[in-house]
Amino acid sequence: MTALRQAQGSGTPIQGVTLYSFTRAFHGHEYDLEALIRKVAADGYGPGLEVIGFSSFRGFPAIEDSFAGWFRDLVDEVGLVTTSLAVNADIGIHRDRLLNQDELIEYMRRQIVAAAKLGFPIARVQISITPDSMEQLAPIAEEHGVTLALEVHADQYASHPRILDLRDRYEKVGSPYLGFTMDWGATVSGFAPSLLEAYRRRGASDELLAKVVDLWDRYYAEGPPADQAEHGKRFGSFIGLAAQNGRPDLGIDFGINGTGLFGPARVDDWLEIMPWIRHVHGKFFGIDEHGEEPSVPVRDLIRLLVDNGYSGAISSEYEGWHWNHWQSPFEIVAAEQAVQRSAALNAGSRMITDAAQARSILNAHLAQPVRG
Amino acid sequence: MIPDRIIEQGTLTTDGPRTAVEVRLPWYRALPGSCISGAKLSVDGVAAPEESLRWRMNGREFRFDELVDETGEWWFPVDSAVLSGDLPLAPGDADHEVRVDLTLYIPYIIIGDDETLHIEEHDTKTMKAVAA
Repeated sequence: MTALRQAQGSGTPIQGVTLYSFTRAFHGHEYDLEALIRKVAADGYGPGLEVIGFSSFRGFPAIEDSFAGWFRDLVDEVGLVTTSLAVNADIGIHRDRLLNQDELIEYMRRQIVAAAKLGFPIARVQISITPDSMEQLAPIAEEHGVTLALEVHADQYASHPRILDLRDRYEKVGSPYLGFTMDWGATVSGFAPSLLEAYRRRGASDELLAKVVDLWDRYYAEGPPADQAEHGKRFGSFIGLAAQNGRPDLGIDFGINGTGLFGPARVDDWLEIMPWIRHVHGKFFGIDEHGEEPSVPVRDLIRLLVDNGYSGAISSEYEGWHWNHWQSPFEIVAAEQAVQRSAALNAGSRMITDAAQARSILNAHLAQPVRG
Repeated sequence: MIPDRIIEQGTLTTDGPRTAVEVRLPWYRALPGSCISGAKLSVDGVAAPEESLRWRMNGREFRFDELVDETGEWWFPVDSAVLSGDLPLAPGDADHEVRVDLTLYIPYIIIGDDETLHIEEHDTKTMKAVAA
Protein backbone atom coordinates (compact mmCIF):
# COMPACT_ATOMS: atom_id res chain seq x y z
CA MET A 1 0.00 0.00 0.00
CA THR A 2 2.83 2.34 0.84
CA ALA A 3 4.46 1.70 -2.50
CA LEU A 4 1.18 2.31 -4.29
CA ARG A 5 0.63 5.60 -2.52
CA GLN A 6 4.19 6.64 -3.26
CA ALA A 7 3.60 5.88 -6.88
CA GLN A 8 0.60 8.17 -6.70
CA GLY A 9 2.75 10.90 -5.22
CA SER A 10 2.65 10.58 -1.43
CA GLY A 11 5.64 12.15 0.24
CA THR A 12 8.23 10.37 2.34
CA PRO A 13 9.72 13.09 4.58
CA ILE A 14 13.21 12.61 6.00
CA GLN A 15 13.52 12.60 9.79
CA GLY A 16 16.12 14.92 11.28
CA VAL A 17 16.96 17.52 13.85
CA THR A 18 18.52 20.94 14.17
CA LEU A 19 21.21 21.32 16.80
CA TYR A 20 19.31 24.46 17.88
CA SER A 21 17.05 22.06 19.83
CA PHE A 22 20.02 21.32 22.08
CA THR A 23 21.21 24.92 22.52
CA ARG A 24 21.34 24.77 26.33
CA ALA A 25 23.36 21.53 26.30
CA PHE A 26 25.94 22.99 23.88
CA HIS A 27 26.00 26.42 25.53
CA GLY A 28 26.37 24.78 28.96
CA HIS A 29 29.45 22.79 27.83
CA GLU A 30 27.65 19.46 28.27
CA TYR A 31 28.48 18.53 24.67
CA ASP A 32 30.92 20.10 22.24
CA LEU A 33 30.08 20.05 18.52
CA GLU A 34 31.61 16.65 17.88
CA ALA A 35 30.00 15.06 20.95
CA LEU A 36 26.63 16.54 20.03
CA ILE A 37 26.77 15.25 16.46
CA ARG A 38 27.77 11.82 17.73
CA LYS A 39 24.87 11.86 20.18
CA VAL A 40 22.39 12.87 17.45
CA ALA A 41 23.51 9.86 15.43
CA ALA A 42 23.74 7.39 18.34
CA ASP A 43 20.31 8.30 19.75
CA GLY A 44 18.67 8.20 16.33
CA TYR A 45 17.52 11.83 15.92
CA GLY A 46 18.76 11.80 12.32
CA PRO A 47 19.60 11.06 9.66
CA GLY A 48 18.93 14.71 8.75
CA LEU A 49 21.30 17.18 10.43
CA GLU A 50 20.75 20.93 10.47
CA VAL A 51 23.22 23.38 11.98
CA ILE A 52 23.16 27.14 12.58
CA GLY A 53 26.43 28.51 11.20
CA PHE A 54 26.91 31.30 13.71
CA SER A 55 26.01 28.99 16.63
CA SER A 56 28.18 25.97 15.98
CA PHE A 57 31.17 27.02 13.86
CA ARG A 58 33.70 29.36 15.51
CA GLY A 59 34.77 32.04 13.05
CA PHE A 60 31.80 31.43 10.71
CA PRO A 61 31.41 32.07 7.82
CA ALA A 62 35.18 31.63 7.38
CA ILE A 63 35.68 27.86 7.19
CA GLU A 64 39.18 26.39 6.95
CA ASP A 65 39.64 23.53 4.48
CA SER A 66 40.88 21.30 7.29
CA PHE A 67 37.81 22.04 9.39
CA ALA A 68 35.43 21.35 6.51
CA GLY A 69 37.18 18.03 5.90
CA TRP A 70 36.95 17.10 9.57
CA PHE A 71 33.26 17.99 9.68
CA ARG A 72 32.33 16.10 6.52
CA ASP A 73 34.28 13.03 7.63
CA LEU A 74 32.54 13.09 11.01
CA VAL A 75 29.07 13.37 9.46
CA ASP A 76 29.89 10.47 7.10
CA GLU A 77 31.39 8.34 9.84
CA VAL A 78 28.35 8.58 12.11
CA GLY A 79 25.88 8.09 9.26
CA LEU A 80 24.12 11.45 9.20
CA VAL A 81 23.06 13.56 6.19
CA THR A 82 23.60 17.32 6.22
CA THR A 83 20.37 19.04 5.22
CA SER A 84 20.19 22.76 5.96
CA LEU A 85 22.75 25.27 7.15
CA ALA A 86 20.89 28.09 8.87
CA VAL A 87 22.47 31.41 7.85
CA ASN A 88 21.70 34.96 8.92
CA ALA A 89 21.36 38.28 7.15
CA ASP A 90 23.01 40.53 9.74
CA ILE A 91 21.78 43.72 8.12
CA GLY A 92 22.19 45.61 11.41
CA ILE A 93 25.79 44.52 12.08
CA HIS A 94 27.01 48.14 12.07
CA ARG A 95 25.70 50.22 14.92
CA ASP A 96 25.10 53.37 12.90
CA ARG A 97 23.62 52.08 9.64
CA LEU A 98 22.18 49.06 7.86
CA LEU A 99 24.20 47.12 5.29
CA ASN A 100 23.74 48.43 1.76
CA GLN A 101 22.62 46.05 -0.97
CA ASP A 102 26.11 45.18 -2.25
CA GLU A 103 27.34 44.51 1.28
CA LEU A 104 24.33 42.32 2.02
CA ILE A 105 24.81 40.21 -1.11
CA GLU A 106 28.49 39.74 -0.26
CA TYR A 107 27.59 38.87 3.35
CA MET A 108 25.19 36.18 2.10
CA ARG A 109 27.57 34.95 -0.62
CA ARG A 110 30.21 34.07 1.96
CA GLN A 111 27.67 32.00 3.92
CA ILE A 112 26.44 30.22 0.78
CA VAL A 113 30.06 29.31 0.00
CA ALA A 114 30.44 28.01 3.58
CA ALA A 115 27.30 25.86 3.17
CA ALA A 116 28.70 24.29 0.01
CA LYS A 117 32.09 23.73 1.59
CA LEU A 118 30.57 21.99 4.62
CA GLY A 119 28.32 19.81 2.44
CA PHE A 120 24.92 21.41 3.13
CA PRO A 121 22.64 21.36 0.07
CA ILE A 122 20.31 24.00 1.58
CA ALA A 123 20.89 27.36 3.22
CA ARG A 124 18.03 28.59 5.39
CA VAL A 125 17.64 32.35 4.97
CA GLN A 126 15.29 34.68 6.82
CA ILE A 127 12.49 37.13 6.10
CA SER A 128 14.74 40.20 6.01
CA ILE A 129 15.89 39.04 2.55
CA THR A 130 13.64 40.83 0.06
CA PRO A 131 12.37 39.49 -3.28
CA ASP A 132 15.01 41.67 -5.05
CA SER A 133 17.77 40.17 -2.91
CA MET A 134 16.55 36.62 -3.49
CA GLU A 135 16.59 37.27 -7.22
CA GLN A 136 20.11 38.65 -6.97
CA LEU A 137 21.26 35.67 -4.88
CA ALA A 138 19.79 33.03 -7.23
CA PRO A 139 22.81 32.81 -9.57
CA ILE A 140 25.17 32.66 -6.57
CA ALA A 141 23.10 29.80 -5.14
CA GLU A 142 23.20 28.05 -8.51
CA GLU A 143 26.96 28.53 -8.88
CA HIS A 144 27.56 26.81 -5.55
CA GLY A 145 24.79 24.22 -5.77
CA VAL A 146 22.97 25.43 -2.65
CA THR A 147 19.19 25.88 -2.50
CA LEU A 148 18.08 29.01 -0.62
CA ALA A 149 15.05 28.23 1.53
CA LEU A 150 13.58 31.36 3.10
CA GLU A 151 11.99 30.59 6.45
CA VAL A 152 8.29 31.33 6.86
CA HIS A 153 8.13 31.95 10.60
CA ALA A 154 5.56 33.52 12.92
CA ASP A 155 4.50 36.33 12.92
CA GLN A 156 4.43 35.73 9.16
CA TYR A 157 2.62 32.78 7.54
CA ALA A 158 2.28 31.35 4.04
CA SER A 159 -0.50 33.67 2.84
CA HIS A 160 1.09 36.78 4.39
CA PRO A 161 1.59 39.50 1.76
CA ARG A 162 5.38 39.48 2.19
CA ILE A 163 5.52 35.72 1.60
CA LEU A 164 3.21 35.88 -1.41
CA ASP A 165 5.44 38.61 -2.88
CA LEU A 166 8.40 36.27 -2.53
CA ARG A 167 6.47 33.36 -4.04
CA ASP A 168 5.42 35.48 -7.01
CA ARG A 169 9.02 36.56 -7.54
CA TYR A 170 10.20 32.94 -7.39
CA GLU A 171 7.68 32.11 -10.07
CA LYS A 172 8.94 34.96 -12.25
CA VAL A 173 12.65 34.15 -11.74
CA GLY A 174 12.07 30.44 -12.30
CA SER A 175 15.20 29.29 -10.47
CA PRO A 176 14.97 25.84 -8.87
CA TYR A 177 17.38 27.15 -6.23
CA LEU A 178 14.82 29.45 -4.59
CA GLY A 179 12.27 28.12 -2.12
CA PHE A 180 10.89 28.24 1.39
CA THR A 181 11.50 26.64 4.76
CA MET A 182 8.15 25.88 6.40
CA ASP A 183 8.30 26.61 10.14
CA TRP A 184 5.49 24.95 12.04
CA GLY A 185 5.45 27.79 14.54
CA ALA A 186 3.33 29.74 12.02
CA THR A 187 0.49 27.23 12.42
CA VAL A 188 0.17 26.62 16.14
CA SER A 189 -3.16 25.60 17.71
CA GLY A 190 -2.69 26.65 21.34
CA PHE A 191 -0.53 28.52 23.84
CA ALA A 192 2.15 26.01 24.89
CA PRO A 193 1.30 24.43 28.29
CA SER A 194 4.99 24.11 29.20
CA LEU A 195 5.36 27.89 28.90
CA LEU A 196 2.32 28.36 31.14
CA GLU A 197 4.03 26.07 33.64
CA ALA A 198 7.20 28.18 33.42
CA TYR A 199 5.16 31.35 34.14
CA ARG A 200 3.49 29.53 37.06
CA ARG A 201 6.95 28.81 38.44
CA ARG A 202 7.69 32.53 38.14
CA GLY A 203 4.70 33.23 40.36
CA ALA A 204 2.03 34.05 37.77
CA SER A 205 -1.47 33.30 39.05
CA ASP A 206 -3.75 30.74 37.42
CA GLU A 207 -6.23 33.57 36.88
CA LEU A 208 -3.73 35.62 34.87
CA LEU A 209 -2.61 32.59 32.87
CA ALA A 210 -6.23 31.76 32.03
CA LYS A 211 -6.57 35.29 30.63
CA VAL A 212 -3.39 34.85 28.55
CA VAL A 213 -4.81 31.65 27.07
CA ASP A 214 -8.18 33.34 26.39
CA LEU A 215 -6.45 36.23 24.60
CA TRP A 216 -4.38 33.88 22.45
CA ASP A 217 -7.46 31.75 21.68
CA ARG A 218 -9.30 34.89 20.57
CA TYR A 219 -6.51 35.67 18.07
CA TYR A 220 -6.54 32.06 16.93
CA ALA A 221 -10.29 32.37 16.23
CA GLU A 222 -9.64 35.62 14.31
CA GLY A 223 -6.76 34.07 12.35
CA PRO A 224 -3.25 35.43 11.78
CA PRO A 225 -2.63 39.20 11.78
CA ALA A 226 -3.35 40.76 8.41
CA ASP A 227 -0.34 43.08 8.54
CA GLN A 228 2.42 44.43 10.78
CA ALA A 229 0.09 47.03 12.30
CA GLU A 230 -2.32 44.33 13.48
CA HIS A 231 0.64 42.29 14.72
CA GLY A 232 1.83 45.29 16.75
CA LYS A 233 -1.64 45.73 18.23
CA ARG A 234 -1.74 42.13 19.37
CA PHE A 235 1.76 42.40 20.84
CA GLY A 236 0.63 45.47 22.78
CA SER A 237 -2.48 43.73 24.08
CA PHE A 238 -0.37 41.02 25.76
CA ILE A 239 1.73 43.73 27.42
CA GLY A 240 -1.46 45.49 28.56
CA LEU A 241 -2.91 42.29 29.98
CA ALA A 242 0.19 41.68 32.09
CA ALA A 243 0.19 45.27 33.36
CA GLN A 244 -3.53 45.23 34.24
CA ASN A 245 -3.01 42.06 36.26
CA GLY A 246 -0.08 43.23 38.34
CA ARG A 247 2.70 41.48 36.41
CA PRO A 248 4.12 44.13 34.04
CA ASP A 249 7.47 42.26 34.20
CA LEU A 250 5.93 39.43 32.15
CA GLY A 251 4.34 41.64 29.48
CA ILE A 252 7.09 41.63 26.83
CA ASP A 253 7.59 37.91 27.32
CA PHE A 254 3.86 37.28 26.78
CA GLY A 255 3.97 39.45 23.66
CA ILE A 256 7.10 37.91 22.13
CA ASN A 257 5.92 34.34 22.66
CA GLY A 258 2.21 34.94 22.09
CA THR A 259 2.81 36.54 18.70
CA GLY A 260 6.32 35.53 17.58
CA LEU A 261 6.41 31.86 18.56
CA PHE A 262 2.78 30.78 18.48
CA GLY A 263 1.48 31.81 15.06
CA PRO A 264 -2.29 31.28 14.69
CA ALA A 265 -2.61 30.40 10.98
CA ARG A 266 -4.40 27.21 9.91
CA VAL A 267 -2.50 24.18 8.64
CA ASP A 268 -3.93 24.38 5.10
CA ASP A 269 -2.55 27.93 4.77
CA TRP A 270 0.70 26.21 3.74
CA LEU A 271 -0.95 25.18 0.44
CA GLU A 272 -0.28 28.73 -0.80
CA ILE A 273 3.43 27.94 -1.09
CA MET A 274 3.54 24.13 -1.01
CA PRO A 275 5.35 23.60 -4.34
CA TRP A 276 8.16 25.88 -3.16
CA ILE A 277 8.73 24.22 0.22
CA ARG A 278 12.26 22.80 0.16
CA HIS A 279 12.84 22.34 3.87
CA VAL A 280 10.82 22.09 7.08
CA HIS A 281 11.43 23.21 10.64
CA GLY A 282 9.32 20.87 12.75
CA LYS A 283 8.97 23.58 15.38
CA PHE A 284 7.45 22.38 18.65
CA PHE A 285 7.39 23.27 22.33
CA GLY A 286 6.76 20.16 24.41
CA ILE A 287 5.25 16.72 24.76
CA ASP A 288 2.36 15.96 27.13
CA GLU A 289 1.59 12.95 29.31
CA HIS A 290 -0.07 11.23 26.34
CA GLY A 291 3.07 11.50 24.25
CA GLU A 292 1.54 14.18 22.00
CA GLU A 293 2.52 17.79 21.21
CA PRO A 294 -0.33 19.71 22.87
CA SER A 295 -0.01 23.00 20.99
CA VAL A 296 1.40 22.16 17.54
CA PRO A 297 -0.78 20.02 15.22
CA VAL A 298 2.12 17.74 14.29
CA ARG A 299 -0.11 14.96 12.95
CA ASP A 300 -2.07 17.30 10.67
CA LEU A 301 1.13 18.93 9.41
CA ILE A 302 2.72 15.58 8.59
CA ARG A 303 -0.44 14.47 6.78
CA LEU A 304 -0.44 17.70 4.80
CA LEU A 305 3.18 17.15 3.75
CA VAL A 306 2.67 13.47 2.89
CA ASP A 307 -0.53 14.14 0.94
CA ASN A 308 1.21 16.86 -1.04
CA GLY A 309 4.18 14.72 -1.98
CA TYR A 310 6.80 16.37 0.22
CA SER A 311 9.98 14.27 0.30
CA GLY A 312 12.42 16.71 1.81
CA ALA A 313 13.80 16.89 5.33
CA ILE A 314 12.00 17.83 8.54
CA SER A 315 14.31 19.19 11.23
CA SER A 316 12.70 18.71 14.63
CA GLU A 317 13.14 22.15 16.16
CA TYR A 318 12.46 22.08 19.89
CA GLU A 319 12.05 25.60 21.21
CA GLY A 320 10.69 24.82 24.67
CA TRP A 321 14.28 25.00 25.97
CA HIS A 322 13.83 28.78 26.25
CA TRP A 323 11.75 28.22 29.38
CA ASN A 324 11.72 24.49 30.18
CA HIS A 325 14.78 23.93 32.37
CA TRP A 326 13.27 20.92 34.14
CA GLN A 327 13.10 18.36 31.30
CA SER A 328 15.73 16.86 29.00
CA PRO A 329 15.54 18.23 25.44
CA PHE A 330 16.86 14.91 24.17
CA GLU A 331 13.92 12.93 25.53
CA ILE A 332 11.45 15.53 24.29
CA VAL A 333 12.89 15.47 20.74
CA ALA A 334 12.78 11.67 20.72
CA ALA A 335 9.11 11.76 21.75
CA GLU A 336 8.19 14.33 19.09
CA GLN A 337 9.89 12.31 16.37
CA ALA A 338 7.84 9.28 17.45
CA VAL A 339 4.71 11.37 16.83
CA GLN A 340 6.02 12.32 13.37
CA ARG A 341 6.70 8.69 12.44
CA SER A 342 3.31 7.56 13.71
CA ALA A 343 1.58 10.38 11.82
CA ALA A 344 3.37 9.48 8.58
CA LEU A 345 2.25 5.86 8.92
CA ASN A 346 -1.32 6.98 9.62
CA ALA A 347 -1.14 9.08 6.46
CA GLY A 348 -0.20 5.98 4.46
CA SER A 349 3.51 6.73 4.14
CA ARG A 350 6.55 6.73 6.41
CA MET A 351 9.42 8.88 7.59
CA ILE A 352 12.81 8.09 6.12
CA THR A 353 15.29 7.14 8.84
CA ASP A 354 17.97 5.41 6.76
CA ALA A 355 20.88 7.64 5.75
CA ALA A 356 21.43 6.24 2.26
CA GLN A 357 17.74 6.51 1.42
CA ALA A 358 17.64 9.99 2.91
CA ARG A 359 20.56 11.09 0.73
CA SER A 360 19.02 9.80 -2.46
CA ILE A 361 15.54 11.19 -1.68
CA LEU A 362 16.96 14.59 -0.73
CA ASN A 363 18.97 14.72 -3.95
CA ALA A 364 15.81 14.06 -5.94
CA HIS A 365 13.87 16.65 -3.92
CA LEU A 366 16.38 19.43 -4.57
CA ALA A 367 17.56 20.92 -7.81
CA GLN A 368 20.78 18.94 -7.66
CA PRO A 369 23.10 17.46 -5.08
CA VAL A 370 25.60 19.75 -3.46
CA ARG A 371 28.82 20.04 -5.42
CA GLY A 372 30.90 20.83 -2.34
CA MET B 1 17.11 33.85 26.20
CA ILE B 2 19.79 32.32 28.46
CA PRO B 3 20.22 35.05 31.11
CA ASP B 4 20.78 32.56 33.93
CA ARG B 5 24.18 31.74 32.40
CA ILE B 6 25.56 35.30 32.01
CA ILE B 7 27.78 35.23 35.11
CA GLU B 8 30.17 32.30 35.37
CA GLN B 9 30.02 31.02 38.94
CA GLY B 10 33.28 31.32 40.87
CA THR B 11 35.08 33.67 38.49
CA LEU B 12 35.10 36.87 40.57
CA THR B 13 38.68 38.14 40.79
CA THR B 14 40.15 41.24 42.32
CA ASP B 15 43.46 42.97 41.75
CA GLY B 16 43.98 46.20 43.68
CA PRO B 17 41.47 48.72 42.39
CA ARG B 18 40.14 46.38 39.66
CA THR B 19 37.49 43.67 39.86
CA ALA B 20 36.59 41.25 37.07
CA VAL B 21 34.10 38.49 36.33
CA GLU B 22 33.68 36.06 33.42
CA VAL B 23 30.50 36.43 31.43
CA ARG B 24 28.74 34.26 28.87
CA LEU B 25 26.61 35.24 25.92
CA PRO B 26 22.90 34.93 26.80
CA TRP B 27 22.02 34.22 23.15
CA TYR B 28 22.17 31.16 20.92
CA ARG B 29 24.55 32.46 18.24
CA ALA B 30 27.78 34.40 18.02
CA LEU B 31 27.65 38.18 17.93
CA PRO B 32 30.40 40.57 16.83
CA GLY B 33 31.81 43.22 19.15
CA SER B 34 29.74 45.86 17.37
CA CYS B 35 26.59 44.24 18.76
CA ILE B 36 27.79 44.36 22.37
CA SER B 37 26.35 47.74 23.16
CA GLY B 38 27.02 48.06 26.85
CA ALA B 39 27.41 46.42 30.22
CA LYS B 40 27.22 47.25 33.90
CA LEU B 41 29.09 45.54 36.69
CA SER B 42 28.21 45.88 40.34
CA VAL B 43 29.26 44.05 43.47
CA ASP B 44 27.23 44.26 46.67
CA GLY B 45 25.19 47.05 45.15
CA VAL B 46 28.16 49.23 44.21
CA ALA B 47 28.52 49.84 40.47
CA ALA B 48 31.89 50.16 38.74
CA PRO B 49 32.18 53.59 37.06
CA GLU B 50 31.10 53.35 33.43
CA GLU B 51 34.33 54.82 32.04
CA SER B 52 36.39 52.23 33.93
CA LEU B 53 34.66 49.22 32.32
CA ARG B 54 36.68 47.01 29.98
CA TRP B 55 35.64 44.04 27.86
CA ARG B 56 38.14 41.27 27.05
CA MET B 57 37.35 38.60 24.48
CA ASN B 58 39.49 36.43 22.21
CA GLY B 59 42.57 37.74 24.03
CA ARG B 60 41.91 41.41 23.23
CA GLU B 61 40.73 44.11 25.60
CA PHE B 62 38.30 46.86 24.55
CA ARG B 63 36.66 49.95 25.96
CA PHE B 64 32.97 49.92 25.05
CA ASP B 65 33.38 52.82 22.65
CA GLU B 66 36.00 50.74 20.82
CA LEU B 67 33.52 47.91 20.33
CA VAL B 68 31.15 50.10 18.29
CA ASP B 69 33.04 49.43 15.01
CA GLU B 70 34.40 46.00 15.90
CA THR B 71 33.08 43.49 13.39
CA GLY B 72 36.23 41.36 13.34
CA GLU B 73 36.10 39.87 16.83
CA TRP B 74 33.09 37.70 17.65
CA TRP B 75 31.70 36.46 20.96
CA PHE B 76 31.12 32.73 20.45
CA PRO B 77 28.35 31.06 22.50
CA VAL B 78 30.63 28.70 24.45
CA ASP B 79 33.39 31.25 25.17
CA SER B 80 33.67 33.49 28.22
CA ALA B 81 34.41 37.19 27.95
CA VAL B 82 35.81 39.11 30.92
CA LEU B 83 34.08 42.23 32.21
CA SER B 84 36.18 44.36 34.54
CA GLY B 85 35.97 47.75 36.21
CA ASP B 86 37.25 49.94 39.03
CA LEU B 87 35.79 48.34 42.14
CA PRO B 88 38.19 47.69 45.02
CA LEU B 89 37.36 44.47 46.80
CA ALA B 90 39.14 42.43 49.46
CA PRO B 91 39.73 38.80 48.56
CA GLY B 92 38.59 36.36 51.21
CA ASP B 93 35.81 34.19 52.49
CA ALA B 94 33.06 36.79 52.33
CA ASP B 95 30.22 36.20 49.87
CA HIS B 96 29.60 38.94 47.33
CA GLU B 97 26.51 39.57 45.26
CA VAL B 98 27.63 40.15 41.68
CA ARG B 99 25.28 41.71 39.15
CA VAL B 100 25.93 42.08 35.41
CA ASP B 101 23.66 43.89 32.96
CA LEU B 102 24.18 43.45 29.23
CA THR B 103 22.72 45.26 26.25
CA LEU B 104 23.06 43.41 22.95
CA TYR B 105 22.01 44.23 19.42
CA ILE B 106 20.54 41.33 17.44
CA PRO B 107 21.80 42.20 13.96
CA TYR B 108 19.38 40.15 11.85
CA ILE B 109 16.19 41.41 13.50
CA ILE B 110 15.25 44.79 12.04
CA ILE B 111 12.22 46.20 13.82
CA GLY B 112 11.76 49.48 12.00
CA ASP B 113 13.38 51.88 9.59
CA ASP B 114 17.10 51.65 10.37
CA GLU B 115 16.32 50.19 13.80
CA THR B 116 17.87 46.94 14.99
CA LEU B 117 16.38 44.96 17.89
CA HIS B 118 18.30 45.27 21.12
CA ILE B 119 17.84 43.14 24.19
CA GLU B 120 18.68 43.89 27.81
CA GLU B 121 19.56 40.94 30.02
CA HIS B 122 20.89 40.69 33.54
CA ASP B 123 22.08 38.08 35.99
CA THR B 124 22.93 38.08 39.70
CA LYS B 125 25.04 35.46 41.43
CA THR B 126 26.74 35.17 44.81
CA MET B 127 30.38 34.13 45.08
CA LYS B 128 33.66 34.76 46.85
CA ALA B 129 36.39 37.01 45.44
CA VAL B 130 39.79 35.56 44.58
CA ALA B 131 43.03 37.55 44.19
CA ALA B 132 43.93 37.76 40.50
